[in-house]
Amino acid sequence: MIGTLLIAAVVVVAVGAVASATRRGFGTGLWTQAAGSAGIAGAGLWALLAGERAGQGFGPGLVAVAGGPDPAGSPLRFGVDGLSGLFLFALGLVAAAALVFSRGYLTAPGPDGRDRPDGRARAVAALTGVFVLVLVLVLCARDPVGFLTGWEAMSLVPAVVILVQRRADARSRRTVFTYLAITHLAGVGTWTAVLLAARTGVLGGSMAPPGRGVQVVIAVTALFGMGAKAGAMPLHVWLPRAHPIAPAPVSALMSGVMVKVAVYGMVRLLVVLLGPLPTWFGVLVLAVGGFSAVGGVTYALLQHELKRLLALSSIENVGIVLLGLGACLVLRAQGADAWAAVALGACLLHTLNHAVFKALLFLGAGAVERATGTLRLDHLGGLLRRMPRTGVAVAVAAAAIAGLPPLNGFASEWVTFQVLLRLPARHDLLGGVAGLLALAALAATAGLAVTCFVKVVGLVLLGPARSAGAAAAREVPASMTGPTALLAATCVVLGVVPGLLLRPLVALAPWLPDGAGAGSAGVTAAPLGAALHLPGSGGLPTPGLAAVLVALTAVLALARGRRSAAPAPSWACGQVVGPELNWTGAGFTKPLRLVLESVLRPRRHISVREEAGIVHEVTYRGHVPQLIDERVYRPAARRSAVAAAYARRLQSGSLGTYVGYLIGLVVLLLVLARTGVLA
Amino acid sequence: MIGAEPAAAAAVQVVGGLLLAPLLPGLVQLFKARLQGRRGAGPGQPFRDLRRLWGKSAVTVEGTTAVYRLAPAVVAAAVATAVLVVPVASRTAGWGVGHDALALGGLLALARFAVAAASWDTGNGFALMGASRDLMIAVFVELTLVLALAGPALAAGGTDLTAIIAAGAGATAWTTPVRALGAVAFALVAIAETGRQPVDNPDTHLELTMIHEGPLLEYAGRDLAYLQWAAAARHWLVLVLAAQVFLPHPAAVWAQLALLPVVLAALCGALALTETLAAKMRILRVPRFLAAGAVAAGLGVTASLAGLA
Repeated sequence: MIGTLLIAAVVVVAVGAVASATRRGFGTGLWTQAAGSAGIAGAGLWALLAGERAGQGFGPGLVAVAGGPDPAGSPLRFGVDGLSGLFLFALGLVAAAALVFSRGYLTAPGPDGRDRPDGRARAVAALTGVFVLVLVLVLCARDPVGFLTGWEAMSLVPAVVILVQRRADARSRRTVFTYLAITHLAGVGTWTAVLLAARTGVLGGSMAPPGRGVQVVIAVTALFGMGAKAGAMPLHVWLPRAHPIAPAPVSALMSGVMVKVAVYGMVRLLVVLLGPLPTWFGVLVLAVGGFSAVGGVTYALLQHELKRLLALSSIENVGIVLLGLGACLVLRAQGADAWAAVALGACLLHTLNHAVFKALLFLGAGAVERATGTLRLDHLGGLLRRMPRTGVAVAVAAAAIAGLPPLNGFASEWVTFQVLLRLPARHDLLGGVAGLLALAALAATAGLAVTCFVKVVGLVLLGPARSAGAAAAREVPASMTGPTALLAATCVVLGVVPGLLLRPLVALAPWLPDGAGAGSAGVTAAPLGAALHLPGSGGLPTPGLAAVLVALTAVLALARGRRSAAPAPSWACGQVVGPELNWTGAGFTKPLRLVLESVLRPRRHISVREEAGIVHEVTYRGHVPQLIDERVYRPAARRSAVAAAYARRLQSGSLGTYVGYLIGLVVLLLVLARTGVLA
Repeated sequence: MIGAEPAAAAAVQVVGGLLLAPLLPGLVQLFKARLQGRRGAGPGQPFRDLRRLWGKSAVTVEGTTAVYRLAPAVVAAAVATAVLVVPVASRTAGWGVGHDALALGGLLALARFAVAAASWDTGNGFALMGASRDLMIAVFVELTLVLALAGPALAAGGTDLTAIIAAGAGATAWTTPVRALGAVAFALVAIAETGRQPVDNPDTHLELTMIHEGPLLEYAGRDLAYLQWAAAARHWLVLVLAAQVFLPHPAAVWAQLALLPVVLAALCGALALTETLAAKMRILRVPRFLAAGAVAAGLGVTASLAGLA
C-alpha cells in the first residue's frame, strides 16, 4: 500500500515536472508537483508510523516496490522503511511548500499584471521536480547502483539549476565549480564506503558485522564522503557559497533536504548496516559535530547577507545532528543500547526539525528578496509591519532555530543535551571527556544561535526601514505566504507534541528487540505521549510548558492594559533620531567579535581623509575571513595548481617524447619481469 | 493525594518565587548600604517601586510593533514559568512543567531573546548595546552553567532538579571536589545572571555602562514593573539553585524549607559583599572570568571520571 502510494506520488511529480516546463502548464504543473510531494510526505509518514507498529526495524526493503519476480536477485532494488519514511516525510513536506512557493516566486508580474513565466522560470520549475525525484531515488534505493546514481545526480541537479537561473555569470560558474570539485573529491569517500559495503555483503542486509578493519574503513570513508555532502566542517566550504545563489525554493530543498539526505546516508550506513563501531570513531563524529556546530553558528552570526547566514547556520545544525549521531555511536560501542536508541531519535528529530525551519527561513528570505530587492541585512528592516504574514512566519522559524521553548528546535536540542549527558555517566574516560566537551559545545552553540537569530529578526523584521527598497516593500501573494504559514505551524506542532514523533524514531534502532519499541528504551511516555520524558531527566512536558507560557503571557498582557502615554521618539540623549543612528548588524555582534578576536582574526581597514588638521571623511571596512578557506583550502589549491603545472610538462605535445615514454615503459616492464618483480 | 511535604514545598516555591522574590534585591541593597555606612531603604523598597510603576502609564516608542509591547509580558511569563520549574526541596508537587534543569536554560534564553528583539524594535542604541553585551555574556553563562550542573547531575543520574537536590543532601555528598568546583563555577554564573558587580552594575544609570538595564531604558509603567519583577525573580532562581544544589543542605524536606530563607539571606549578604569589594571589570574580561568557572567545573567532572576523586 505504501509502495503504491509512493509510486503514484512519484508519477504525479514527474508529470507535473514535465507540465511545468511548458508555457501553458507552468502553474498547473507546479501545483501537480506539490500535490505529488504531499503524497510523498504522506507515504513517508505512513511508513514511519507503520514501521513502529509492526515493531520492525530495518530490512533490506520493507516494501519491495520494483524488481521483478525475485527482488533479491535483481540489480536494481527499491524499498521503503521507517528510516526512509522519515526522510521522505521531510522531503515531501519541504518540497510541497517550496513548489507552491515557486508559483509566486518564479513569475514576475508583467506590465499587464499577469504572471509570465519566462524560459528560465520554466526550466527551474521542471528541474525542481527532477531534484525531488532524485532525492526520492537516493532514499529508496537498496542497491549500490541506484544509490550512487541518485547520490551523484543529487549533486548535479542543483548545479544545473544555479547555472540556468544565474545565466552562468562568471561568479556563479566559479562557485558551481568549487561546489562540484569538493563534492567529487568527497565522492571518493562515498563511493569507497558504499562499494566496500556492497562487496562485504553489508549492503545486502546481512546484519553480521564484517571484519573490524573493513568496518572501520567503511565508517571513516563514509564520514568523509557523506560528511562533506552534509556540510560538516572542515569539508563545508562549498555550502555557504552554493546555497545562497540558488533560487529560494531550491535553496530550501538544498539546505532543508539535500544536506539531510547525506545524514540519511550516514545513519543508514553507520548506525543501521554496520554493527557497533569502536568508541574512538563515535568520538571522532562528536568532534566533527561540535566543531561544525560552534564554527557554523559563529561564522553565521558575523554574516551580512541573509541567505549566506542561513547557509552557515545549516552547518551549525548539521553539527547538532552529528552530536546526536556521535552520542549514538559511542553509547552503542559501550553497550548502552537503550540510550543509543534515544540518541538516534535525538539525531533524527533534530534532522526533521531543522528541515522544517531552515526551509521556512529560506522561503522567507526569498519572499523578502522579492519584496525589497535585496538580501543585505543592513538594508532591510521594519518588514514585520509591511509584510505581516511572512514576518510572523520568519519570526517563528527564527525562535525555533534559536532553540526557544515551546518550539521544535528546543525539544530536539533538549533531547540531544540529555543523551550527551549520558556519555560522562558511563565512566569511560575517552567517551566521558568527549561528552563533556560536546555538552559545552552544544551550550555555547545554543547561546550563539540566540544572538544570531535575534540579529536576523531585528535587522529584517523590526526597527525602521534601512533602505528605500525595504520602505517600499509589500506583502507577497498568497501562494508565497501560504507555504511559510504551513511550515511555521509545523514548527509549533512539532514543538508542542515532539513525543509523538520521538517514539517511532527511537523505535527505528535496529538493535532494539522486535516489538519492544520505545518502551524498552526507557522513553516512558505520559498518557498522551506528546511530552518528552527520559529517565533521569526532570521531564519536558512540552504541552504543559507551552500552555503555561501562553496563558501567563496572555494574562500579563491583558493586565498591562492598553493605557499608554503619547508616542515618543526613542531616547538618544536628546538627539534627533535619524537614520545615521541606526544600529547595524556589525555593531550588534561586535562584543562577540572582540571576545573571539584571537580566534577569528577579523580584518579592518580604516582610512581617514584629513585636510589641514580637520578630519573630512573616515571610511571603515571590516570583514571576518573564513579561516578554513584561508588557511587550508587556499594553500591546498595553490599547491595543487603548482603540481598540475609540473605534471603538464610531461605532456609536451611532441610525438618523439611520447614514443620515448613508451619505450621507457616497455624497458621498465621488461626489467621488472626479468628481475622477477612481475611474475 | 499529595503529602504535606510536597505540598508545602510547592507552596514555598510559588509564594517565594512569584510573590516574595523582590525581597531579595531589596535585601542586597540594604546590606550594601549598611556595608557602605549608609542606612539605606528597607528590604521592601522593590515592592514600593513596583506599586509606583503599576500606577503609571506605559510609554509607546514611535514606530514600534507588538514585539515591543509584548516583550515585558513574555519575559515575565518565561521567568515565572522558570520559577515553577525550579523546586525548592527534594520532594515537591509539580506544576505541570517538569523539574528539568535544562528547561530552565531554555526559558531564560526565551526571556533574553524577547528583550533583545524589543531592543531592535525600538532601534535605541543604548538598548541594543546592552542587549548585545547581555547576549555575549549569555553564551559563556550557558556554557558555564551546563558544565557546573553536569557534576551534580551525574551524581543524581540525570537533570531532574528534585533528584539533584536529594543527591546533594547530607554531608557525605560533599566530600568530593566535584561539587566544590561546580559551586565555584556557579558562583560566577550567579553574579553574571543576577547582573551584579563585577559583571554588571544594577545601580548605574549611565547609558554607556549598562548591560541589563540598557534594554529597559525605553520602558515605563507596568512594562517596567514586569521587567523589574523578572529581574528580582531571576535572583530567586539563581539563589535557590545555589542554596539547594551548590551548597550543602539537609536531607529532610522540612529542614530544607526551614533553612532556605536563612541561606537566601546569607547569599544576598554575600552578593552585597562582592559588590562592595569588587570593582566592575572591563566587559571583555567577563568571558574569561566565566570561562575560568567553566574550566574549573569541567576539570572537576573529568577528575571524577578518571577516578581521581
